[in-house]
Amino acid sequence: MKLRCARSGWAVKVLTALGAIALGGCAYTSNLTNPHPSQEPVADTPERGRVLYLRDCAWCHAAEGSGTGRGPDLISDTNGAAFTDFMLSTGRMPINDPSEPTRFSSPSYNPSEIEDLVAYVASLGGDGPPIPVVDTQAGDLALGLELYQENCAACHSTTGVGGALAAGPDPFDRSLIAPALTQSTPVQIAEAMQVGPGTMPVFGRDTFSDTEVDSIVRYLGHLQRPDDRGGLPLGHVGPVTEGAIGWLVGVGGALLIVRLIGTRVGEE
Amino acid sequence: MRSDLRDMSRRQRTSPPGSGVALAFGFSAVSSIALTVVYGFGGQPQLEGLLLGIALGGLAVGLVRWAQDLMPGGGYVEQRDTEMGGPAQSAAAVRSFERGEQEVQRRSFLGKALAAALGALGLAALFPIRSLGSAPGTSLEVTPWAEGIRAVTIDGEPVRPEDLEIGGVLTVFPDGHLDAADAQTLLIHLPPGVYRPVASGREGWAPEDFVAFSKVCTHAGCPVGLYQPANRRLFCPCHQSIFDVLDAAAPIAGPATRPLPQLPLEIDADGFIAAGGDYSEPIGPGYWSRPRA
Amino acid sequence: MLRRTAGWFDTRLGTSAFVQKALTKVFPDHWSFMIGEIALYSFVVLLLTGTFLTFFFDASTSHSVYRGAYEPLNGVEVSDAYRSVLELSFDVRAGLVMRQIHHWAALVFIGSIVAHLCRVFFTGAFRRPREINWIIGVLLLILAIFNGFSGYSLPDDLLSGTGLRIAHSIALSVPLVGTWMAFLLFGGEFPADEIIGRLFVVHIMIVPALIIGLLTVHLAVVWRQKHTQFREPGRTEGNVVGSRLWPSYTAKSIGLFFAVSAVLSVMGGLVQINPVWLYGPFEPQQVTSPAQPDWYLGWVEGALRLVPPFDVRLFGYEIPNPFFPAVLLPGVTFTLLLAWPFLEQRFARDKEAHHLLDRPRDHPVRTALGATTLTFYTVMFVAASNDLIAKWLGASIFGITLIFRILILLLPPLVGWGTYRLMKALAASGAGHLSEMPLAALTNRGADGHGAHVDGGKGHGAAGPPGDGHAGNRLGAPAEEARTPGG
Repeated sequence: MKLRCARSGWAVKVLTALGAIALGGCAYTSNLTNPHPSQEPVADTPERGRVLYLRDCAWCHAAEGSGTGRGPDLISDTNGAAFTDFMLSTGRMPINDPSEPTRFSSPSYNPSEIEDLVAYVASLGGDGPPIPVVDTQAGDLALGLELYQENCAACHSTTGVGGALAAGPDPFDRSLIAPALTQSTPVQIAEAMQVGPGTMPVFGRDTFSDTEVDSIVRYLGHLQRPDDRGGLPLGHVGPVTEGAIGWLVGVGGALLIVRLIGTRVGEE
Repeated sequence: MRSDLRDMSRRQRTSPPGSGVALAFGFSAVSSIALTVVYGFGGQPQLEGLLLGIALGGLAVGLVRWAQDLMPGGGYVEQRDTEMGGPAQSAAAVRSFERGEQEVQRRSFLGKALAAALGALGLAALFPIRSLGSAPGTSLEVTPWAEGIRAVTIDGEPVRPEDLEIGGVLTVFPDGHLDAADAQTLLIHLPPGVYRPVASGREGWAPEDFVAFSKVCTHAGCPVGLYQPANRRLFCPCHQSIFDVLDAAAPIAGPATRPLPQLPLEIDADGFIAAGGDYSEPIGPGYWSRPRA
Repeated sequence: MLRRTAGWFDTRLGTSAFVQKALTKVFPDHWSFMIGEIALYSFVVLLLTGTFLTFFFDASTSHSVYRGAYEPLNGVEVSDAYRSVLELSFDVRAGLVMRQIHHWAALVFIGSIVAHLCRVFFTGAFRRPREINWIIGVLLLILAIFNGFSGYSLPDDLLSGTGLRIAHSIALSVPLVGTWMAFLLFGGEFPADEIIGRLFVVHIMIVPALIIGLLTVHLAVVWRQKHTQFREPGRTEGNVVGSRLWPSYTAKSIGLFFAVSAVLSVMGGLVQINPVWLYGPFEPQQVTSPAQPDWYLGWVEGALRLVPPFDVRLFGYEIPNPFFPAVLLPGVTFTLLLAWPFLEQRFARDKEAHHLLDRPRDHPVRTALGATTLTFYTVMFVAASNDLIAKWLGASIFGITLIFRILILLLPPLVGWGTYRLMKALAASGAGHLSEMPLAALTNRGADGHGAHVDGGKGHGAAGPPGDGHAGNRLGAPAEEARTPGG
């Protein structure tokens, strides 16, 4: 379901939010239009990474990646190949407007463009980790479960559907979530662990061995196709949707049945 | 009124009365047999539930239709007493009781002795309740953490400062006490220089930019598992309290009223992270006799 | 054969007189009198499925290795309780469907008790002489909630373990005795190993026995006092009009049992509930988000989230924050519920016996108070999902919480006032049903006070005397003659 919701305007935002309740997901897709739909693809030359960078990124991150008032630098902390690849391949970057939240969407570039951009940004001097190599089959499912429960489930939920966070007490803050991991690729998961994007902590190579990373990724692969042996999964959020179904279908159904069995006042 | 309508509609029906009922019972029987077959072939939850539902639902439809269409229903009148009993009856009962009571009161000493014996027995019978649990004692005020005890992961691995990147977080336990739920601690590696000990006497509790706080929420005891390195805040998923790590884990939002107790840290001679003592105050949710920090 | 059996018992116990009376006993046919039966039959389903589950559940927190069909946990060391639930769900044939029917039945059991309570409240069926059954009903609700929570906690999964953790903290928060209470209930400091075994005994023996006992008394009292009925032609304070127990009502009621179990079976088969294998085993340092209890404790959970951060410290002692939403609030709630029939008798100055029911409009004050109360608890209930709502709406959690804090102060009085106006207008309009009421009646402020007049004598004044003009109007006709032809 792809819904185009017009940007800007308070009323539109409220409508979008209401639509999100009804349709489940409009709010996520509403901001995900490609920011540069009109721009022509750049020819595949050795210079392509730089050209793309200067065209789409430098406005906020500066030509040398040193950052501006609009966007952070791409050199300090965990910045580097893995971070750049994560932000681009999950569609979190680029954004139209520096005030926009960075959210998971379909990537704006094709894989080879991402490769060139990553190479260019990495050449700017960030010494964050390189793109990790993940071998899901080398992972151990049970170990992955234990590590996931211990380190990831608090924010992303035991079922991997994500959860709400909050940066501070301000009621007018932008929404902050630990995203669902239902669509992440193995490499993206490993990248996120090593660079700690957004508000996520760093779970780097010093903390987790390759086998441990492989195991977590393998378990997440399982969570992406969980064993819903019990039937309809109800969004994997637990008692909230279960309670709703219990009332609507269970109690509601039973009330309907007694209504059919019994009589009404004046009906005899 | 309704039965008249029923009679009319019944007359108009071409099929004999009760054919719907029989059909429902038939459905039920077929479904039960199918259920047995499914079970025999190893079972399948969705089919089991559905077939059981049809088997039971067939019986339900059949019985209700039978009752509604073919049985005499409605319109019966039964009288009732608007009030039960009566004053004369209760007065007689009270008199009977009082007559017996006089007999008992004549031996008032025996009555008192009986009451004393029963009371004592009742009291004695209460004491086994004490066997249900250990005395609280000081167990809520102390944890196994003590000076020099190494912080280990849930796998029992001790931690060196270089094992945790800046922005990283680990849940650690006191070495040898992996099952001590009251000693679960968040070990956080802060960026250099951002941490300033806010509370006096906590200088030197954060060697090499490592800080440690109790993971047990001071509101209702949930593990405060969500660390957000971007703003150095901890978030409790149960009731949404937020704690500011840089402000000695003071609560800044949600229902929590007290900071997360801090664990003093030191780097031991072998270069492992260890505790410099027990927490700054009793961990976890409040209770009646909790000493003031 | 039947004759001989009846004779055999009658000559020994004199049962025939009772059986004769019982078989011809009259039950009113109105649908709303069967809501309680939904609860009753959900409970029967709970007993049947629960018995099956006890044969496989292992109420121990000792650890052993799970070896079975669920791949990610195969070979992992978990508690016996959790392992046995995994085996029930994956390795015992028909085990999962039984477990799920059991859990759905629990949700519907408590839901239908609440629906039943609302019916009894809004129609005034709790009035003299039925105060006893109101009290028993409220006690049954408390027991049902308690048993729901104890059952939810048994699998020793991460979600339920978090719930137990909060329960321990709530016990701790009780002034004076809280610490000892928590330690004696759990067997020590959290997570004490005894709690699962104890909850199991409580869940399958003590509370069910209490429920069965109180349920028996509840039904016996209904039997003795006979049902209430709505005001309709031929129905008076002195009679009951309806179907006979045998065979019509028996067939309908057993049909309802099968219908309720059919709904629960289909839900148990098709809709997954509490997939503990996805939640993982409980470890005290782990937690999941979102973390909510089953719906019947949602209002307490919501209150925990809405109450602002404060403690009370007095003379060196502390009353911690959770005490107020999680101990005081439920305490006040259930005390007021238990006391309601007596409070109303006092304030409405009506101590008469009533067997004919009010319609909600006949007593606008009561109806408005009920609506206010329901709104209050509903807001808290919804607030328990504040994190999920924030996520779905893309808003800040604290924005959502702020809205709920405002709503809980604003909405209940507003709904109460609206309900009062609506009931007054409805009574005045004389419409048979809400949908038939002309809209003008609501805006016509002058309508107040004319209720009893326009009402065709069906209702009576809100707080006035019982207005029972029919008390002497007994039909006096023997049951056989009064029944309508049919069948």
